[in-house]
Amino acid sequence: MSEKQKEESIKTKITSAHDYRAYFRQALDASKRQPFTDFQIATFVTVIAGIVRLYKIWEPTSVVFDEVHFGKFAGKYINHTYFFDVHPPLAKMLIAGVGSVAGYDGLFDFNNIGDDYLAPAVPYVPMRLFCGILGVFTIPMSYITVKASGHSTAAALVAASLVCFENGFVANNRLILLDSPLLFFISFTIMAWMKFSDPRLQPFSFQWKMWLFLTGIGLGCSISSKWVGLFTVATVGCSTIKGLWDIWGDLSVSPTGFGRHFINRVLYLIIVPILIYIFAFGVHFTALPLSGDGDTHMSPAFQQTLKGNEAPATRADVAYNSVISIRHLKTNGGYLHSHASRYETGSERKLNGDVIVDVPLLTSRKEQQITLYSFRDDNNLWKILKGGEDRVENPDELEWVKNGDIVRLQHVSTSPIMLHSHDHRPPVTEEEYHNEVSGYGFKDYEGDANDYWRVEIVDHSSSSPAAGERLQALRSTFRLIHINEGCALFSHSVKLPKWAFEQQEVTCIKGGTIPRTQWYIEQNDHPLLNETAEMVSYENPGFFKKFLELNKVMWTSNAGLVDSHPYDSRPPSWPILQRGISMWSQNEKQIYLLGNPLIYWGSTWAIFSYLIVRGVLILRQQRGYSDKIGIVGRYFQDSIGFYVAGWTFHFLPFLLMGRQLFLHHYMPALYFGILGFAAVFDLLTQKFRPTKKILATVALIALIVGVFVVYAPITYGTTWTRDDCLRSKVMDKWDYSCDTYLDRNPLKSSVTEAPSFHPQEESAPLGVISANDGEKPETPMQPTPSAPMDEHSGEFGDEEDADDEWYRLNRPADPEEDEDEDDEDEEDDEEEEEGEE
Amino acid sequence: MMTDTAVRKRHTGPVQSKKPVAVKEEEDLKKVNAANTSFRLLLEFEQTHLTVSPFRQANTLRASKEQTYAQLTVLFSVFRFDEVHFGKFLGHYLKRAYFFDVHPPLAKLTLTAAGKLIGYDGHFDFASIGDNYIENRVPHVFLRSVPATFGALCVPIVYLIMRDSGYNYLTCLFTTTMYLFDNALVGQSRLILLDSQLIFYMLCTIYSYVRFSKARHQEFSAEWYTWLLATGVSMAMTLSVKMVGLFIVAAVGLATISDLWNLMDVRRGLELTHVAKHFYARAVALIVIPTFVYLFWFWIHFSILDTSGPGDNFMSAAFQATLKGNPLTEQAIKIYYNDSITIQHRDTENFLFSWDKTYPLRYDDGRISSKGYQVSANSDANDEGNIWQVLQTGDEITGQLTAVRHGDIIQLRHVKTDRLLMTHDVASPLLPTNTEFTTAEEGDEEKYEDTLFELRFDVLDLGRQWQSQMIHFQLIHVPTGVSMFSQTKKWPEWGGYKHDLNGNKKIIDRANRWIVKDVIGREPGEDKNEDESKVDSMSFLQKFLELQSKMLSENNKLVAEHPYMSAPISWLVPTKGISYWHSPVSKSQIYLSGNVVGWVLGLACIAIYCGIGLADIVAQRRGFDLIDEPVRRRFQYSGGFLALLYALHYLPFYVMGRALFLHHYLPAVTILYMLMGAVFEFMFIDGTTSPASSLVRNESEMKNHKPKVAPHITTMRSVLTKTSYIAAAVIVIAQIGFFIWMVPLTYGTSMSSEMVKLHQIFGWELHFGKGTFLFKWPPLSHNTC
Repeated sequence: MSEKQKEESIKTKITSAHDYRAYFRQALDASKRQPFTDFQIATFVTVIAGIVRLYKIWEPTSVVFDEVHFGKFAGKYINHTYFFDVHPPLAKMLIAGVGSVAGYDGLFDFNNIGDDYLAPAVPYVPMRLFCGILGVFTIPMSYITVKASGHSTAAALVAASLVCFENGFVANNRLILLDSPLLFFISFTIMAWMKFSDPRLQPFSFQWKMWLFLTGIGLGCSISSKWVGLFTVATVGCSTIKGLWDIWGDLSVSPTGFGRHFINRVLYLIIVPILIYIFAFGVHFTALPLSGDGDTHMSPAFQQTLKGNEAPATRADVAYNSVISIRHLKTNGGYLHSHASRYETGSERKLNGDVIVDVPLLTSRKEQQITLYSFRDDNNLWKILKGGEDRVENPDELEWVKNGDIVRLQHVSTSPIMLHSHDHRPPVTEEEYHNEVSGYGFKDYEGDANDYWRVEIVDHSSSSPAAGERLQALRSTFRLIHINEGCALFSHSVKLPKWAFEQQEVTCIKGGTIPRTQWYIEQNDHPLLNETAEMVSYENPGFFKKFLELNKVMWTSNAGLVDSHPYDSRPPSWPILQRGISMWSQNEKQIYLLGNPLIYWGSTWAIFSYLIVRGVLILRQQRGYSDKIGIVGRYFQDSIGFYVAGWTFHFLPFLLMGRQLFLHHYMPALYFGILGFAAVFDLLTQKFRPTKKILATVALIALIVGVFVVYAPITYGTTWTRDDCLRSKVMDKWDYSCDTYLDRNPLKSSVTEAPSFHPQEESAPLGVISANDGEKPETPMQPTPSAPMDEHSGEFGDEEDADDEWYRLNRPADPEEDEDEDDEDEEDDEEEEEGEE
Repeated sequence: MMTDTAVRKRHTGPVQSKKPVAVKEEEDLKKVNAANTSFRLLLEFEQTHLTVSPFRQANTLRASKEQTYAQLTVLFSVFRFDEVHFGKFLGHYLKRAYFFDVHPPLAKLTLTAAGKLIGYDGHFDFASIGDNYIENRVPHVFLRSVPATFGALCVPIVYLIMRDSGYNYLTCLFTTTMYLFDNALVGQSRLILLDSQLIFYMLCTIYSYVRFSKARHQEFSAEWYTWLLATGVSMAMTLSVKMVGLFIVAAVGLATISDLWNLMDVRRGLELTHVAKHFYARAVALIVIPTFVYLFWFWIHFSILDTSGPGDNFMSAAFQATLKGNPLTEQAIKIYYNDSITIQHRDTENFLFSWDKTYPLRYDDGRISSKGYQVSANSDANDEGNIWQVLQTGDEITGQLTAVRHGDIIQLRHVKTDRLLMTHDVASPLLPTNTEFTTAEEGDEEKYEDTLFELRFDVLDLGRQWQSQMIHFQLIHVPTGVSMFSQTKKWPEWGGYKHDLNGNKKIIDRANRWIVKDVIGREPGEDKNEDESKVDSMSFLQKFLELQSKMLSENNKLVAEHPYMSAPISWLVPTKGISYWHSPVSKSQIYLSGNVVGWVLGLACIAIYCGIGLADIVAQRRGFDLIDEPVRRRFQYSGGFLALLYALHYLPFYVMGRALFLHHYLPAVTILYMLMGAVFEFMFIDGTTSPASSLVRNESEMKNHKPKVAPHITTMRSVLTKTSYIAAAVIVIAQIGFFIWMVPLTYGTSMSSEMVKLHQIFGWELHFGKGTFLFKWPPLSHNTC
């Protein structure tokens, strides 16, 4: 049956013009008449995808990019030592599970990009295979998704091959990273949601419930892998609200019927994902019972639940001459600490936030440092003594430290040093309302009035009313007010310079009572307290307290990732694929995360043309023109609209994020972009005769595969020639290094006509360095964790400054480069044309 | 007059002036026995959120001993504190000395004009008030009355807005009374701050827009045009006070778009040309004219401030050169090829340095170096190793004096070792991602290309000749494109503890900027014979754009933590206020916080508004029509506009990175009270007076077209019931009661410590109460009071 006839038959069958679902059904039924079943086609694309995605997955044989982190985390799970990461645990646990089954012992530490896997026999291939296979499955799922939303097989094939031959997906999804599980779960969710939205399904039937349930599972797994999954939740959520709105407006559905619709969705789309998310954390905590390097991110109560970190029970009542350790309440900086080092003159201070200047520290009296230190240590111990000029000491009696008492704190290990403050600015924080806190005192010196602090109990545990009246370990939260300056002992997460071992700064702050002036006593001992004295220990936080705390810490740390990275990028540069990420480079090979430019530009083009056309149509409607877009239009509007909404939800929020971002954050959005592109392709080829449609599909896929092959060497990290590399650089900012490759043209021209010079041609060791083995001249540069960007081509970075426009206009022409660009432009135009077909 | 040293300090950049200021400040403060903690805290507060710190340093440069005593005096005469700060702005305006502030100039200009009116004719040097302060105190009271007057004028406007929106007079009175008795609004407008002017202009905009909407049926009439224009102008005035005015611009913009959208509706029967006419009228009145108004204030600003002043350092060299007596033009030395210069890093103030020590072959972490001569950053300004000679490259090397300009490819010869600066593809000692800088022997053909650097100036200085002191530049390595970079980290022993220096691949980095400090063997002023006028000109637009971008970027940099800063979520219920001032002698304090009754009711009103709105939409979808059409229209359109205004004045703060304070919420609070009025009318008054605007159309329009569908007109009158009166009375009495109870904190009258304790609700951190610091105040001699 020809396309035209088909449409005719549809039109006759549709009686109600509003029921565009009929067209949808028709389109779905049409697939039954094609020579291959969907299952066969999906299997076929899976096989192709398997070859493309898993090709030489054992290469490179060393650590690539963020495998540094996620490989390490897998090791932590295997060793059961607690660690901290800003991402939820599910995907990491899956990777760890695979690693554990494959025999990874958790000893290899994944410290640097480029560390060798082979010698320590790390089973990295199964771990990569796991991620790679999850990546492979996104391809049949994209096929099914597009099919399920009622599009033609051709469009579904386009979507599948776009996902399959997207260089960025390939490069990223075969490594031990979280992106591939995340993308797998997101595409699974969307597939299930599309299946659920199939109008042929009877509400509340088994299939209907199953797909709804699977959507919920997919959502739960997505948010448990990375918080980006929340954007998927938003996408599905909005779609759900729209669906419910339609049902609510359908007066043939009774209110109870609507209630059932509503309850089902709440149950499967809200409750199920939340349970999965919580469950993932439950497993996470169970899997990590031992103390590890993530401890310091957590609160003391949390920390002491980890083995190796248990806080011993301590005496409750604090008396004068008690030896105590004092802990800061609101930061995890740890204990009030001092050691036999002094503040330094000529220390470094921060000015204006980012400028670091050397200023001789006028205020420093070179007194002993007072810091916060996060580990238990004898230098955290202080003896609490009576303060005030009119003090009466009676050393042989137990006298409780009461609220409002004036005390001195003597540092036990460097005695007679006392906790001291005075009108000088602290080493780092220069604000005038901060005072320096130091350790002051020497032999046979009684100390002065600047050693006096008043104890003010702010809060106390409700179980012990006495803790409000006098100091009790763990139960009373108190402030220490400096008598002379009227300031309160304070700390904040500001690190002292190197000379103070980068411990946390302690100051005395005036004015403004803020929570970070609160302290409590963790350890307490007194020689006169006998065995029967009351003991006290931390309350054990339940699972939910731990869960909430960890999520809060993840949130703040995530927002705090603001450092700059040589390869970070801002969201507006993603849809046009302005720049990639260098992930690994060694031995004249490199992996550079760069998308398939055709797919990036094509999907962006599809989304924006849809938005523009839609806007124009709405405007015309307001003016009373009827465009007769009718049933088919509404159907495409729903399908493309959903994908565009998905793209928007997965892209726009990044614009508001202040944290450090990378190109791979665009991948979920790109997935939706590809689905949108396929739907637009279907719309454009809708009127084509079948042969022409097949031709267009084949041509488009061939083109995409062609471009994929061009960039394959930097995707897989295989060999390439320098000329090919140079030719492939369509955009100036694609800064993969062509100098890495052999077969380079020795007379590559540069800005001046001076004789050219290549560092590689020098004798070792000049120009040759490597992380572990610097003297091997054949390893050109060492890749480093933060930036394996080690080679520069002449074009690199020239356009980055604000005056780039000026520079571009005035730069001497580079004939060879221009030629290259021209070549690419031509190819490009062709591609564009095809894409627009 | 500025002393020579002051001039020298200033032109070298904000950072350098730090040291002497710090000393000075320290000494001053010691002399007054560091007693005025509260004052300093306050000054700190003012300055962190109103200006940025380099400005403050420049200010304090002038702070003589006398002044500090004067400040002490200020401390004990209530409300005087911010005048010291604002006095500086006024003083700068009157002395015409350029200063920098993150806010647009209108509010400050208004204050200046007021000052001028009553006789600040510039003879009175505000910046060094010193002993004259007490004699001249009367003008301060007058100045304080300026924002207070604006604050007072807001009250009748609120009434008018409500009345013209068609609300019952009881609602209008209710709203106005509630608004009047808000402690935060009262407290804020009594101080010389910008907020009362901001709120005033914002309310003017809303009022004009309401009047404009009322006149919508008399389109293109004189009244219609007047109010349209008034909307545009007052909108621009709001924006000219603070950038927060952008929110009202957004609100008016959205309302206008929705208005135009309705006009376009085919059922309205308007021709497209007719709609276009509407569009053009709005475009002119709401875009073009406001732009000019906004620019006008900046034009005045630049016209007044034509002399060099404390704000110089914020601006580009080209901008500074337009200011009279600016030290840059006086100190700058033009650079020609073959000059020997020292190059200083802009932020760390270290000098580009080299010597004959080489890099160690192998670093501790196993990486290896090129073993070339070290190039680092040296903090010793007088070291001979800092001297570099600028060499010309290319073919056209001539013996003549050739100026060095932006974009030139140069070489730098290290004079002491006679080698050329270069960098190459070798990782630097501290940062493996960055390239190592070293030197190459002159005439080494192989390394020739690596010794080429491109000189790149800041955007605004592109056309100028390279000069010392003035021009910030980057040195871009030609073959690799890296930019010379330095940081405060030091090298270990092998590097003589010099500071790190390397090639940065990230070109846009503040730490890539350098200046030329000295040109060896030449003195400033040698070039004077050249026929170049001392004051350059720059077009107004260029100046404006530069200042505007600077304002925005500096505003975003106000992120320093402050004890009184608060998160937007904490504003809804005023759980945390700002302590503006306190005096331990009279036990009085000013604590800015809202009227809890009003704010909590406001929060409830938002919930009620959203709840009712949502419920109505959902019910309508099922075919239930529960609300009378005129009431619904009032609730949706008038209430909706207020809700939109509130949302736009509140929600954007959630995505702002800068430090936020309670007073940022005040414009939203103002709108909240009006929204409360709308909800009050809906809940307690039967019906609503509708339509609010006259429906008589102007004749020309009647002739032109007939609407295809008659507008949905239903008339209705609002009816007051006993409940209305009782509800209004109860709420208003509660509001006034709370206001009076909080008066001592708002007006800063003396309180006993029992009273303070009583006022510590919600954990407000008041002074002199239990649980707060007892400051030990040193005895003060009475002659300072």
